[in-house]
Amino acid sequence: MLIKRPAGWEMPESQATPESVFLNRRQLMAAGAGLIAGAALPGLAAADTPDPTLDLYPAKRNEAYKLDVPLTAAEDAANYNNFYEFGMTKDIVDASRRLATRPWSIQVEGMVEKPFEIGFDDLVRKLPLEERLYRFRCVEAWAMAVPWTGVPLAAFVALAKPLSGAKYIRFETFMNPRVAPGQSQRWYPWPYTEGLTIAEATNELPLLVTGIYGKPLPTQHGAPIRLITPWKYGFKSVKSIRKISFVAERPKTFWEGLQSSEYGFWANVNPAVPHPRWSQASEQVLGSRDRRPTLIFNGYGEHVAGLYKGLENERLFM
Amino acid sequence: MRSATVNAALRSWLPWTDRQGRFSQLRGATFALLLVPALMLLYAAWMHQLGSKPWTEAIHQTGTWAVRFLIATLAVSPFRRLFDWGKLIGIRRMLGLAVLAYVLGHLTLYCIDMAFNWGLIVSEIAKRFYLTIGFVALLGLVALGVTSTDGMIRRLGGKWQKLHNLVYPIAVLGLVHFALQSKIDVTQAVLMSGLFVLLMLYRGLYRWKLTISIPVLIGAALFAGLATAVIETTWYALTSGVSARLVFEANADILTYPEFASVRPAHWVALAGLVVALVHGLRARTSRPPRRARQPATA
Repeated sequence: MLIKRPAGWEMPESQATPESVFLNRRQLMAAGAGLIAGAALPGLAAADTPDPTLDLYPAKRNEAYKLDVPLTAAEDAANYNNFYEFGMTKDIVDASRRLATRPWSIQVEGMVEKPFEIGFDDLVRKLPLEERLYRFRCVEAWAMAVPWTGVPLAAFVALAKPLSGAKYIRFETFMNPRVAPGQSQRWYPWPYTEGLTIAEATNELPLLVTGIYGKPLPTQHGAPIRLITPWKYGFKSVKSIRKISFVAERPKTFWEGLQSSEYGFWANVNPAVPHPRWSQASEQVLGSRDRRPTLIFNGYGEHVAGLYKGLENERLFM
Repeated sequence: MRSATVNAALRSWLPWTDRQGRFSQLRGATFALLLVPALMLLYAAWMHQLGSKPWTEAIHQTGTWAVRFLIATLAVSPFRRLFDWGKLIGIRRMLGLAVLAYVLGHLTLYCIDMAFNWGLIVSEIAKRFYLTIGFVALLGLVALGVTSTDGMIRRLGGKWQKLHNLVYPIAVLGLVHFALQSKIDVTQAVLMSGLFVLLMLYRGLYRWKLTISIPVLIGAALFAGLATAVIETTWYALTSGVSARLVFEANADILTYPEFASVRPAHWVALAGLVVALVHGLRARTSRPPRRARQPATA
């Protein structure tokens, strides 16, 4: 994999040399630990060929989804990312560029009419891409608002043709500790796994996201394809999806395996239910010093509140 | 003449001079090093390199450095004896005050991050256990800071040492605060806790009047490493759904490191202890006989 970078202020040339990436990964990581976020620019995907889906961007905006908060600056969204596969800090942009996002295929399996594997580039041309402005709320009590490009998950579910016994949809990311050093931390339940009920998945809100700010997703945002469920805490929105399964039992998610008392299956945003260690009443706006009140279901209650009728005994907000 | 006396008095107060007002390399270098994290933080802030939540990042950095400097402060007494390096006492107060300074900066940044919403700040500190104990530790450090002057040492007499032994519970509170604020990964907090255990072991060796030798120090290093592994395993077992067996296995695996990140805190702590043993051995060999003869009396 050749990594092309514009020479100049962003990054010392030595860090960009593919041979050293390959031969001296350990030293590079030690050195890279000292490297600061300023080295990163949004939209510089680590690919030597132009993105084959570039012609699809920017996609037409779906005006039904409006924001009443200011849009986050692209640079702020691009440089503050949780992606534990590439490190425990928020500054994982450079590390995440080692993920090769082509070729990329998605395996669809479990309780579907016919399991299949589909190339990412084929999938995005099969389903209609659109742009939506969504709020995003992290469980760590920070928030942003960004334009995602993607396809409604409901359209994908229709394509997959699940059987009637399927009650949940399970998403799984890639598994490659050689590329993603975080995955060699052996007590984490890799690969990252998330899930939704079929009712949630076929709601109009969840998107299979392929782009942001009118461009294909950069790696730190979970290229080439990720989930976005805007009414839930961000950790539900699994990145770099490799496998989608339709199952009868509720899948055990990555965070449930780690700390189910703090990061559960439902994880719907609710200002009144604090995280065991901090308040969720307000949220810090990324890229500014403002705090604003958190909204129930992150402001999407009219779309999703009905999904939870009869589920009042579940820990819906944790 | 009068201004010369004032100057001399002032000089003895400067961080880079000794009590006689002469320039001290040790104190000068320590003072400069203590400023480095703050200056780097200011530089990063100036260059907009603190990421999208700069205040949070600054809170984390000042807090982390406060813990590191606290561990360094606690290393002074054992290292004086182990390395036969009496002058080291000359930087202990400066280190302790640096801890206080970083902790006060840490709290100030937190208040800024909370937009000086005092109601929220007070209720969060009261409601969130990790903030409560962090705040208690801060109050303790303030008490130690204001009683750190020569005058207070004289006035408090024997009570001074008793009061300043509070640094140990304060350190424990700080370390627990450090671990509790982590989302899941406590590697840094465990590393600092392991070093704390190592330094407490050295104190134990002197208190129990054990003969300090290289084998004993190697034993202490390995024991502290093991204790660190137990701390890490226990933490994950008690606070998370992580398999304790897997955590301990990762610690037991000292031969294959698939990645740099696989080196556990326990390994670093044991390594630190081994380096201390080595330096102790080298110092003992090069020490002049009269100094060595004098050493037991002061120890």
